[in-house]
Amino acid sequence: MRPRQAETLPVRLTRQRIYVLPTASGLFFGFVLATMMLGALNFNNNPALLLAFLVAGAAQASLFGAHMQLSGVVVSTIAADPVPAGEPIRLRIALGALDQRVRRGLRVAHGDAFAHTSFDSHGGTVELLLPTEHRGWFPLTRIELSSVQPLGLARAWGYVWPDEPLLVYPAGEAQAPPLPAPAGDDGRAQVTRAGDDIHQLRGYRAGDARRSIAWKASARRDSLLVREYEQHRSEQLTLDWQLTAGLPYEQRIRRLARWIDDAEREGRRYALALPGQPLIPMGLGASHRHRCLRALALLPGEVARG
Amino acid sequence: MADSKPRSPLMEVHSRRLVLLATTLCLLPLLLQLPRSLGIGFGLSAVAVIALSWRHKMHSILRILLGVCGILAVVAVAPGIGRDSACAVLAAMLALKPAETFSLRDGRSLVGFALFAPFATFLLDQGPLSLVLSLAAIVLALLALQQLARDQAGVQPPIGARWWSSSTGVLRLLALGLPLALAAFWLFPRLPSPMWGLPDRVVASPGLSDTMTPGGFLDLMNDDSPAARVQFFGATPRPEQMYWRGPVFWDFDGRTWHRLPRLQQLPPAELRAGPTKWDYQIELEATDRDQLIALDVPTKVPDTAAISKDSSVYSPNALNNVTRWRMQSTVPLALEPDLLDVLRQRALSVPQGFNPRTLALGRQWRREAGQDAQGRSDMAIANRALAWISREFAYTLNVPLAGRNEIDDFLFDRKEGYCEHFSSSFVVLMRAASIPARVVAGYSGGYYNPMGDYWLVPHSRAHAWAEIWVPERGWVRVDPTAAVAPERVYDTLADRQPGRIGNFSGLVPMFNASDWMRRGWNDFVLGYNAQRQQSLLNPFGMENLGTRGLILIFAFIAGLALAWMMWLIARGERERDPLLRAWRRLGARYVRIGQGRFSHEPAQAWAERAGADVPKTGEDLRSLSQRFSNARYADDDKSGASDQRRVLLRDIETHRP
Repeated sequence: MRPRQAETLPVRLTRQRIYVLPTASGLFFGFVLATMMLGALNFNNNPALLLAFLVAGAAQASLFGAHMQLSGVVVSTIAADPVPAGEPIRLRIALGALDQRVRRGLRVAHGDAFAHTSFDSHGGTVELLLPTEHRGWFPLTRIELSSVQPLGLARAWGYVWPDEPLLVYPAGEAQAPPLPAPAGDDGRAQVTRAGDDIHQLRGYRAGDARRSIAWKASARRDSLLVREYEQHRSEQLTLDWQLTAGLPYEQRIRRLARWIDDAEREGRRYALALPGQPLIPMGLGASHRHRCLRALALLPGEVARG
Repeated sequence: MADSKPRSPLMEVHSRRLVLLATTLCLLPLLLQLPRSLGIGFGLSAVAVIALSWRHKMHSILRILLGVCGILAVVAVAPGIGRDSACAVLAAMLALKPAETFSLRDGRSLVGFALFAPFATFLLDQGPLSLVLSLAAIVLALLALQQLARDQAGVQPPIGARWWSSSTGVLRLLALGLPLALAAFWLFPRLPSPMWGLPDRVVASPGLSDTMTPGGFLDLMNDDSPAARVQFFGATPRPEQMYWRGPVFWDFDGRTWHRLPRLQQLPPAELRAGPTKWDYQIELEATDRDQLIALDVPTKVPDTAAISKDSSVYSPNALNNVTRWRMQSTVPLALEPDLLDVLRQRALSVPQGFNPRTLALGRQWRREAGQDAQGRSDMAIANRALAWISREFAYTLNVPLAGRNEIDDFLFDRKEGYCEHFSSSFVVLMRAASIPARVVAGYSGGYYNPMGDYWLVPHSRAHAWAEIWVPERGWVRVDPTAAVAPERVYDTLADRQPGRIGNFSGLVPMFNASDWMRRGWNDFVLGYNAQRQQSLLNPFGMENLGTRGLILIFAFIAGLALAWMMWLIARGERERDPLLRAWRRLGARYVRIGQGRFSHEPAQAWAERAGADVPKTGEDLRSLSQRFSNARYADDDKSGASDQRRVLLRDIETHRP
């Protein structure tokens, strides 16, 4: 039974969803054994027959072995950090098993990408690098788990089709104009007060305010250190969909994505206004960036927009 | 050729080494059974090919050239199409194959192909050495396959693993498959007769042949391998009665004696049995001939064999395997007292133009003895010859090449030789004196093995004697060799006892034990056939199962074996740490009462929870869990740790929720 639709994790590979077939070398091996058995039976050559049966028994055990390598494997979680479209997404698949068997050389594949992993009852993780093309939900299809262990004569495989949303951000525009002018009334920087939200210490540079020098830390390190504040340059931006008017639809998304990254890099707070969606308020940092890029990634396609 | 296809990944260096080692080991038992020159030649070329192609693929022209050389070598040593020449060609191909084996797929094909070599070995020899070598080769071949499969999946051996640690996987697979293999071996329906015959060898194996050329036994008499093993039920013949009858030779062309194959088709000769009756089971090694050996003179043989007119026993098929025959023999009062005229003519004919002195002597003795109807004069002539031989002749294995008048040379000049010379000269002399006579080849004597209560007849006991026909009594056995050297014939000389070195007899019991084991192997495994399969379940009151019955039983047993295999594999690998094993068993006991540990739950937390729910033993469980954690994770000082572990182990084992 192969999954006909996506299923919720964790998924356990049961007997019903595992297939076993001999590999090409397994078929050749079988042919060799069959020839030996036929000849030995015909000539009543007992040692040859015993030998052939012995090897056939081991081969049969390896068939079961391949099946048992898969049987009981649990795909417990699948996770991936979102990446911009076009960059490979790193899929982390956590595998486990409820039994005591050691899994060796389990192959995990999705499309053309594959990786091997070995784990015992403590479980293990395998990473797959999958190419991405479009922003939005990553089209995760069936993941194939397979094994040719222990002798390479038989291959057992089974599919898991996880219902796991994986996000692909829109790729930022490569050549983009600088960030638009701040949305504030006069555009002056709002300086936060010293002592708030110390972000990090850095080396003294000419022009730094004397009161931002961290004297105690400097004494310990024997060089001047300066407190850097989170809102060092806190010009506020509102990245509005309308700012990109005139560009093709997908490029507008890419430009906004680029600006989000630029704003993050420069440490400027930003808001995001998208058509048909409530404004994402001012913010900065990883989770804010994710919220914005997610909104961009999940914008309907141009055709769907109607 | 391979370049156009998508390339299979290359083998790792250590895997390639393993594959080549497995191939060589598969090849070894086969090389040992080939004619020595071919065996050594192919062995050396296999090593050379591996060395030359270790880094780079050997040039294809060189490969083809080597292949042609191999086949030419086979044609030169064993010309013709036969079992041994086919096996030799296989060995040659296998010796060359490593030259082009680099990819994973090549490695797998080579290992599969190499499995033919042990199989081919068994077509030539089924002895213990071949078997042991083949088994080792099989284990190594499977090991190579396992290594290739691991390479393919990028499985690294655990750090610090010994080289043999990966062999446990293969041995485990073999052990898992063993019940199925044995069930198939004993129960899979056998063919009562082969669908196609085994091709003969081009180079004959040692043994009694269809012809006898005086001087030809020499190889046989130096071969201590067993020809037959005999177990008597009831009376045992005395050593001087142990004549194992093989082919009977009638026609002599001055050099070589020939059988009369037509006599095989005729019913046995008329026989008046004497009071002595020997009942025995004879187990014959494979000879590739249809000739059987029986105690002189056979009276009753199994239905699958037949006694010929000249009292030899033949099987309808060549004996390619060890076979067992239940027979009866007797000392006849008369054997073929009415000799057909045709046969009498045959038994009197001597080649014209050869051995004039012998013919003259025979005629002279006949004139001196006269002629009578009771055959008294015949016996007198025979006795006269025996007396002469015993007086003037000597036994030696050191005999020059035969000349044109070989019998004359032997009787009048050399006066030295062994059984073939004595018997053939005696028969010619008798024929010259108008006494019908023939040569019988076979074996004499045997060694008693007290361990298995049986007699061993090695090839080195090959013997030839004479039979003369006298009125009323028919054929009478006369052994001229025994007149010269009875100790050679009846083997009262202890120095030829197997296992004895000079005067040292300490190894004799060991030889007896090993031959006894060999006999058991022959009996149990090599001699197993369709007939014995049918009577397999006789002890359980099921006579003649028939193919259907066999298949049913086989399916049943095979099903059981498969279920057992499945269960063992599903059980997984055994935990090595006894403490952890005991702890898991403890956990399983709690699972049974619904208090199992969740996979995310640490041992301590579980003990707290389960202990609270099972108040009776809760306290005990908590302390056990604490001690278990300490023993497993805390690095205690070594002194006394093992004692503590033992106590803990016992406590865990005895704990019941």
